[in-house]
Amino acid sequence: MVKRQLAERALTQALSTGGDFAELFFEDRLNNSIMLQGGKVEIVNTGRLHGVGVRVFKGIRSIYAYTNDFEEAGLLDCASQAASALKETEHIESASVRLTGSIAANLHPVRRLPGDVGNAWRVDRLRAADAAMKSISSEITQTVCRYVDWDQQVTIANSEGLLVSDRRVYTRASLQAVASDGTENQIGFSGPGALQGAEFAQALDIEAHAKTAARMAVTMLHARQSPAGVMPVVIDNGFGGVIFHEACGHSLEATSVARGLSEFAGKIGLKIASDIVTAIDDGTMPGEWGSINIDDEGTPSNRLVLIENGVLKNYMIDRLNSRRMNMPITGSSRREGYSYAPTSRMRNTYIAAGTADDDEMIRTMGDGLYAKTMGGGSVNPTTGEFNFAVQEGYLVKDGKITEPVRGASLIGRGSEILTKIDRVGRNMRMAQGMCGSISGSVPTNVGQPMIRVSSLTVGGR
Amino acid sequence: MSTQNKTAREQERTPSGLCGCAPDSRRAPQKDALDIFIEKLLAAAKAGGVDKAEAYLRKTESFQSFVESGEVSEYGVNSSGGLALRALIGGKMGTAYTEAFDDDAIDMLVSRVLESASLIEDPDEQFLFEGSPSYAELDTLARTPGGGTADEKIKYACDLEKLALSLDPHVTKLGYQNGVESTHTQVRIVGTNGLNLRHEADGIGAIVTPVAKRGERTSDSLGLRLARNLSDLPMEELAREAVAEAVFMLDAAPCESGSYEVILRFDAMSMMLMTFQGVFSAENTQKGLSLLNGKVGETIAAPCVTLKDDPHREGGPGSRPFDDEGVATFPKNVIDGGKLTTLLHNLKTAKKDGVAATGNASKGSYAATVKVAPSNFHFQPGENDLDALCERMGEGLVITDLAGTHSGANDISGEFSLLSKGYRVRGGKKAEPVEQITVAGNFFDMLKHIKAVGSDLRFPFGGAGSPSVWVGTLSVAGK
Repeated sequence: MVKRQLAERALTQALSTGGDFAELFFEDRLNNSIMLQGGKVEIVNTGRLHGVGVRVFKGIRSIYAYTNDFEEAGLLDCASQAASALKETEHIESASVRLTGSIAANLHPVRRLPGDVGNAWRVDRLRAADAAMKSISSEITQTVCRYVDWDQQVTIANSEGLLVSDRRVYTRASLQAVASDGTENQIGFSGPGALQGAEFAQALDIEAHAKTAARMAVTMLHARQSPAGVMPVVIDNGFGGVIFHEACGHSLEATSVARGLSEFAGKIGLKIASDIVTAIDDGTMPGEWGSINIDDEGTPSNRLVLIENGVLKNYMIDRLNSRRMNMPITGSSRREGYSYAPTSRMRNTYIAAGTADDDEMIRTMGDGLYAKTMGGGSVNPTTGEFNFAVQEGYLVKDGKITEPVRGASLIGRGSEILTKIDRVGRNMRMAQGMCGSISGSVPTNVGQPMIRVSSLTVGGR
Repeated sequence: MSTQNKTAREQERTPSGLCGCAPDSRRAPQKDALDIFIEKLLAAAKAGGVDKAEAYLRKTESFQSFVESGEVSEYGVNSSGGLALRALIGGKMGTAYTEAFDDDAIDMLVSRVLESASLIEDPDEQFLFEGSPSYAELDTLARTPGGGTADEKIKYACDLEKLALSLDPHVTKLGYQNGVESTHTQVRIVGTNGLNLRHEADGIGAIVTPVAKRGERTSDSLGLRLARNLSDLPMEELAREAVAEAVFMLDAAPCESGSYEVILRFDAMSMMLMTFQGVFSAENTQKGLSLLNGKVGETIAAPCVTLKDDPHREGGPGSRPFDDEGVATFPKNVIDGGKLTTLLHNLKTAKKDGVAATGNASKGSYAATVKVAPSNFHFQPGENDLDALCERMGEGLVITDLAGTHSGANDISGEFSLLSKGYRVRGGKKAEPVEQITVAGNFFDMLKHIKAVGSDLRFPFGGAGSPSVWVGTLSVAGK
């Protein structure tokens, strides 16, 4: 895809005004998206993304330029534009860059590439999901079933001589059911995905996921409004891990730590969570949605312990912020595509399994909320304030799960909730999400076993 | 028919060297490489057996300059674009897109639209538009290319940072990105049935994020202004408002849980409208995804509520002469004095409902399929400024910030429960700051119970704007 000599010339050009590091990110990506609404094929949309991003550093200054043009003139022009931003420096004769090529070791083999199966096959998978949803209840009035996959080929070259290529194939089903009684609508959702090809969709029990989504919608249609207040909350495994992702994960990214903005800045080696909390960001789990062979700066992925027994061990650090922080990079710099400069992001991020028993957790909690399925959330990393929605929640009265409740949200500060986790269960499970931040939207897994937070503000009505 | 949308000023503009745009991209007569690509593509589609085809191109040139300690810390100069092909084959619409513009891309696009159309089952009638009789002449360009030079933008960014750091001793640092960002966007739609449209627009924004600290307390705020020209961005007001808000919030605490009279300030109300704008889309009503299905002509809001979609608004961030299907746009009231007067339509939804298209066809990106979206969507301002609204309300809460709207709000049910910030109003006056609360309600109920709409209309985040609105009683979870 990329000619070595051209990349060498572009990097040399990018350094021609005094930059001390230059990087190219070539991307060629095939997207495929299919949507069935109410069982009818509504969208079959395929396309090719194609572009290159040029990044130049001087100290902690960063310049980014991108273009769709891979041809010699376009790429050199883009490199010149990036270089010219350092215009206070006179033109200097930079040493020529010499690249040594390599291919990233592939930890995530793909057995069936997206191009190996036709879209008619994908449509059939979605039809099965649609039928499964409708089989749950006549109250399911609308279904939206999506199959998305993409095949991303990247080549990363930098002025330190790196030239590395990688191919990432993602597959995801996204299943939404709407239950309605004519005046009110409620939704249920399930969205399984993997860093795998069509073999993932083939092996997936898509009907089971569809039924889960449909049951959730019907349950919530008959739920009353969640009460509001401060109470103990048990959060189930799987997408429940979004609590750690939002409340803590983003605040451990160098993006917010490097400038001292995060509430966890300067706290390595200090206790920031209760003793039972160990949290990990692991980019190496085979075939998992948040895994990567190499990050988007070309660094091999790894497993990073963020918090161990309550003590802060590591931040997630990209190349630019490693300069600010004077700390090593962690192989977790990511971007949605060539139109974004990369920065430190999460991969598969989860609270590790503990020793508590799920039943005991609920039995001893008194009155509170059991959040069975979480929706999405967001955080302000500067203040640590987070919020997220409870997609499917139940009231707990005197240690017993009683009726379903809708419309609950959980709010708080990351530093507070971490110290209030008083139970961590044994059965860690992950779920898939798209995480949006300044370098775009990237696939991430969230995960945890069932956990209990001794007190949390529940927003309801 | 062929239509060119060009203002006199547009013709006079000199090309910007900064963004690397081709000089001929701003002048009609000469064909550029993209025109030739589009011609070849449409011919290939015809040869491939499509009945009608349309190429949609969106190109964006953007510039960013974010500063730290008086120096540029992040700088971006970008140019990118993509093209989508839509084709009708036997009444079914196939779609495909590309960012590579070579012969391989033409083969890929044609074979993919044929496959796509063969699978589509959507029973609704599909359209590729041949053009409206006339299009509005809109002034959507900056006075100079890019809205100002790179040096002027860098100076603005440095001055803004310096000013924000000089206003209050509690603000000694700023958050992640502070500076100026500008974009120049070009849209072209060319069809085999003669449609040939082009529109260009400039936008520029300034952002500042003061962080206030006192002891262990931290609070921050986001100041953002959007305009067409750098010189239209009010630096002093932007910095002062953002710094004052961050410092004021240092003393914030949760209020007691309960029901409160609530004013959503212009920014919170704009966020609310942006979150729920999909309920006014006919595409959603027709699919059972909006509770406004069958409600046109009915009263759905308080009499003081008029909701407008104005694609011709001067300086509006979403202003455009034609929509993403090429249909001429026009201003309209969606809610008029509380009554739902129309939904927003594209060609397909209009045909299905037996009404005229409203010029609201929209593609989120060039690659997306055609959906429905407003342009400059806003509540019509009323008489009272925010102080007067507080005076009238007496006791209650003003909400200045809503977080988590992508997860804590459900546009199908209308329910929301959102992390909020703001301040108490006591005796009609601004009192203590409040944070770490959630405000919960239902958008449809809220519309019916609006007590007054303020006069301070702004478009703080782009395409949806609002004045401050006294929405009546909402449920608050605090301490």
